[in-house]
Amino acid sequence: MGLADIPIKRKLLRAILLTSGAVLLITCSAFFTYELVTFRQSTLSQLSIIGEIIADNSTAALAFNSTSDALEVLASLKAHPHIEAAGIYDNEGELFAYYPQELKGSNLPDSVGRGGYRFIDSYLIGIQPIINKGNRLGTLFLRSNTGAITERLKLYGYIVLIVILVSVLVAFILSRKMQGAITKPIGELANTARAISDRKDYTVRATKFGNDEVGELTTAFNQMLDEIQVQNKAIKSFNSDLEDRIEERTSEMEMANKELEAFTYSVSHDLRAPLRSVIGYSMIVLEDYSNKLEDEAVQYLNIIISNAKRMGQLIDDLLAFSKIGKREVSKIPLNMEMITTEVLEEIKDVSKQVDININEMLKTKGDKSMIKQVMTNLVSNALKYSMKEKEPKIEVGSYHLNGDNIYYVKDNGVGFDMQYYDKLFGVFERLHNHGDFEGTGVGLALVHRIITKHEGRVWAEAEVNNGATFYFSLPSNSKEIE
Amino acid sequence: MYREVLPLLLASAFFCSAQNPISKEYQVKAAFLFNFTQFVEWPQNALLNDDTPLVVGVLGENPFGSYLEEIINNETVESHPLTIQYYSEVSAIENCHILFVGADKMEEMELMSDSFKSKNVLTVGDTDDFIYRGGVIRLFIEKGKIQLQINIKAAKASELKISSKLLRLAQIEKS
Repeated sequence: MGLADIPIKRKLLRAILLTSGAVLLITCSAFFTYELVTFRQSTLSQLSIIGEIIADNSTAALAFNSTSDALEVLASLKAHPHIEAAGIYDNEGELFAYYPQELKGSNLPDSVGRGGYRFIDSYLIGIQPIINKGNRLGTLFLRSNTGAITERLKLYGYIVLIVILVSVLVAFILSRKMQGAITKPIGELANTARAISDRKDYTVRATKFGNDEVGELTTAFNQMLDEIQVQNKAIKSFNSDLEDRIEERTSEMEMANKELEAFTYSVSHDLRAPLRSVIGYSMIVLEDYSNKLEDEAVQYLNIIISNAKRMGQLIDDLLAFSKIGKREVSKIPLNMEMITTEVLEEIKDVSKQVDININEMLKTKGDKSMIKQVMTNLVSNALKYSMKEKEPKIEVGSYHLNGDNIYYVKDNGVGFDMQYYDKLFGVFERLHNHGDFEGTGVGLALVHRIITKHEGRVWAEAEVNNGATFYFSLPSNSKEIE
Repeated sequence: MYREVLPLLLASAFFCSAQNPISKEYQVKAAFLFNFTQFVEWPQNALLNDDTPLVVGVLGENPFGSYLEEIINNETVESHPLTIQYYSEVSAIENCHILFVGADKMEEMELMSDSFKSKNVLTVGDTDDFIYRGGVIRLFIEKGKIQLQINIKAAKASELKISSKLLRLAQIEKS
């Protein structure tokens, strides 16, 4: 858990405790060290005072060779708990008297060096010259252990420990009481925020504690919530407005569509009937009365018939176009190769001289008759517009791209100007003269409609006099079709 | 002084097999005489100036030989130079601070007792009755060591202040 993730309450407590602890430690260490140093000094000076007194008291004993008196003087050292050994040496350096009586000889030095009091190893050693009225009579040797210092150290150690413990405890209790003033408002704010985001209830407001920065935060937070509430309402009403409008438009459009389809259907149907009569009767006249007619009249009749047929084709196409709108698209597995072969069979007569190349046709799903219609239209277009070439070539194939199957029909015919691409799939739009190429202008629109109903895309690429390629996409699911 | 005496002592002990044991005793007594100068205070009028000599005298036969000179010569006590005087007669004594009285001069000492008191003389002797006859410090031998007997009243009468350190070592005679 990183430092930043610890709850504020604990962070505060830790910060305060750490600070107090560090401050305490530094203070106590400073005092401890100071005490240690000064205590050592005072122990040393204490010993030197004792040494001077003992030395002074033993002058007569040394001068008058009274061992018993010297021993008596040394015996007073019993009062000092830490002096382990003492010895009085005469001017020749011989040991005159020693303390305590039980001491083994090896515990005292054979001879003593220069005067002075110093710490040697773990002992305090004192060498005190015994002088009376300017005359050197001998030397006093003192050895004290540093027990006093160790005891003092221990005592101080305990005191420091207790002080630190008590202080830390007090700091802990106090800071626990006082951190609430900081952490409570923050915690409440955090809780409120969490509750709001969990329940998505924007009517909840955070309680404000005091006027400090947290209070400001709370006020700003509440204001934000007010804003959110207002905006939410606005968005909701806007949304419902939109939905209402969409419904309206959709039903309007649906109605319009239905009307249009009905219109187209009935018109085509109604147009067909008289047309049939025109064609029928014209053909009867041709058959029965051609010998009675002049060549010109026959020619005129043929023109009438071909035009009427053309009109019929147009009506058929329109009818087919409107029918597509009504039908549901069935989604059955399609064998594109088979469909392509069927299409080519049906237009065998027309395609005799043309070099047709069929590549791999991936399997897909869709409405068979509709897709067949698509292929028919595209292939007949390809044929139609490449017939005039010296060596007309058509290529049909497919490939895989981004989860879809792309099918293409390519020709090397007259192509079209990409400038007019927008009009390509429009109804009744033709990019070529009727004199050059026949057509109703409905074929590609039909292809577009069918493919769009299959949720695919249609597009084309072409160059004037350099052929055209038409593409359409259908979903790819070769796995499911097997 | 001890430093000089001891090698001499050893040397003499080594070479003089027919050593007179009394010599050793008097060596130590000579040292004591010197040491008394350090543990006794004389009144102001006995040592008028800072450089007034402190006189160590021997009345009667000199038992110390040359030891007294060896110990005391060129020594000072609190800037008072120490000198030695040998007296054959009591009347010869003018200024004397410490006087060692020989056994044969006891009667003379008793006669001069008032004079000695007024002259603040510290009388030292080693006869058994030294104290009873008015002496201040008696030296005697006990348990192989030289011990001291001090007559406080006599000391006081001579306005002599004897250091408590010295008194501690000695047998005190108060009468």
